[in-house]
Amino acid sequence: MILVCGGLADGVTELVCARLQDCGYPYRLLDFARFPAGYRCNVRWTERGPEGWIATDEWHLDLDDISGVYARLLGADDRAPLPGLDPADAAVLRTEADLGLMALLEDIACPVVNRIGGGLSNNSKPYQAIVIRSAGLGVPPTLVTSDPDAVRAFQAQHGDVIYKSASGVRSIVRRVGDEQLARLDRLRDGPAQFQAFVPGRNVRVHTVGTSVFATAIESEAVDYRYAHLDGLTTRLEPVELPASVNEACLRLAQACDLLFAGIDLKQTPSGEFVCFEVNPCPGFLYYERHTGQPISTALAELLRGRAH
Amino acid sequence: MFLLLGHSNDTCCQGVRAGLADHGLDARIIASPLAPPAKLTWHLDADGLTSNLYPHLPDRSIDGVLVRDTGWLDPAGWAEDDFAYMQAELRAVMLAWLNGLNCPVINRPDASQWYRSGVPLMAWRRQLRSAGLKLPEVVITSEPGEAVSFRRRLETGGDNGAVYSPLTNSSSYLLADDDAWSRLTSVQAHVPVCLTEAHGPAALACVVGDEVIWNDAPPPDAPLIEAALRRFATAAALIFVEIAIAPVREEPAVVLVEPRPRLERYNEPARTRIIAALVAALTRDAAADAKRVAS
Repeated sequence: MILVCGGLADGVTELVCARLQDCGYPYRLLDFARFPAGYRCNVRWTERGPEGWIATDEWHLDLDDISGVYARLLGADDRAPLPGLDPADAAVLRTEADLGLMALLEDIACPVVNRIGGGLSNNSKPYQAIVIRSAGLGVPPTLVTSDPDAVRAFQAQHGDVIYKSASGVRSIVRRVGDEQLARLDRLRDGPAQFQAFVPGRNVRVHTVGTSVFATAIESEAVDYRYAHLDGLTTRLEPVELPASVNEACLRLAQACDLLFAGIDLKQTPSGEFVCFEVNPCPGFLYYERHTGQPISTALAELLRGRAH
Repeated sequence: MFLLLGHSNDTCCQGVRAGLADHGLDARIIASPLAPPAKLTWHLDADGLTSNLYPHLPDRSIDGVLVRDTGWLDPAGWAEDDFAYMQAELRAVMLAWLNGLNCPVINRPDASQWYRSGVPLMAWRRQLRSAGLKLPEVVITSEPGEAVSFRRRLETGGDNGAVYSPLTNSSSYLLADDDAWSRLTSVQAHVPVCLTEAHGPAALACVVGDEVIWNDAPPPDAPLIEAALRRFATAAALIFVEIAIAPVREEPAVVLVEPRPRLERYNEPARTRIIAALVAALTRDAAADAKRVAS
């Protein structure tokens, strides 16, 4: 039995459930939209790890029967209020329930997509860049600085420069232009991250266990995910990567303790690959819908315990 | 120059600074590393990583860093959203800077520790178990009947009772009487509760590198426990960690893991040994400790 922890209002979780249904793999949905209301559990940690069960009025699931867990958290706005509680108390109690569930998912023996700890590297892009480089992938020239002169020198060296947050907050990529250069004195409030703009073709890689799915993206936008906001178009197609790049992507996912990862690459005009970041909770729906790549099927096999 | 990141009145920072001074080595205690006069340039490309945090102290001339607290941004003058954003940015940058340094860093954080500071014992269970350390039994349950069973089991075993330990904070409540158990049931109406076995008096130990320093006399089975503690510290990549061991069902079990040990809890001889071990760890050959640094 597979445990899916997420919300059906989220398209990615919906796709995972639909694929499990298609494959005939039984699953139970722990619906984050209403959790913990309506759910019961009893989990006991012994010398062997966690054992016990999770249940609703409709089903009862022994932890020993779980072959894999897929977890995708919902934002606070997508979660129903807990009945009979004021919002402040409800928020604390919901966090308490979430932490209990996370403690279980961190320690349960079966594959978990993904355990929380592995995904935290995504909260620091420059830290993640060190991990990426250690895995054998190139990274774009990156400057994190609170020194306006350093930014000017970096731009003089690289010409086209972009900036983006160093953390996972407000993570939108923008080009550095005259407007941004005029505001460089604000760096005194704290450093910002700049990168040389890397020309070429975007490639999104999804690693699922030891399987690799690469998707090439053609777009005029600096950040193709937001191309529609600027009235620009995007085209996606499956692509085969050199074996060395595939292997480096798998090493990277393993280094981040991610059974399922979304890795953003760019192939330069000279054929080199550079890596921008690793997403621990990839919204792969967009890529699978546009290319037909069997990402969700590979995920279903992984959760079923049949991955390569 | 050694950098000791923490508040100026932090006992550990003060002790290490004095210990380094005894060896004729300079150390600076810094409460907010990214605040002026810091002027960070952190540059990563195909040639490797170079960084400088302070204008008159190139990072390559930093001999070692002790990480106690990296400070928090003053919220004054910030809109709430902007403040949260800047705080996240500073944390992200500090994590990268510490990991890029080519000198001993105690403790050099990885993301899972950096973003989960103050985590309860639950988060360490897997690694503790793998290291061969015993742990108190824990139950997370929404079922009043299961909580009662847990209580009976502990009472039958002659143990010290049960403790309710919310996961959202570090507090714990001994469930000493029927009234306390009754109130627990009302919480269970909304959310599962985390119960654990109560334990006897705890013995504090600090792991510093390969050394295990007990606050009081080591327990009789100290060699076995110390070997397991070293295995845990190595697996968790912690050079400096405090662990409390207490009897649970008549066996020593880990009841606390603290990656930022509080020296105030230690007696003077133990404190002196901890400081000496930290100074030794900081002054080791940089090449032996540097890890994951772009060459």
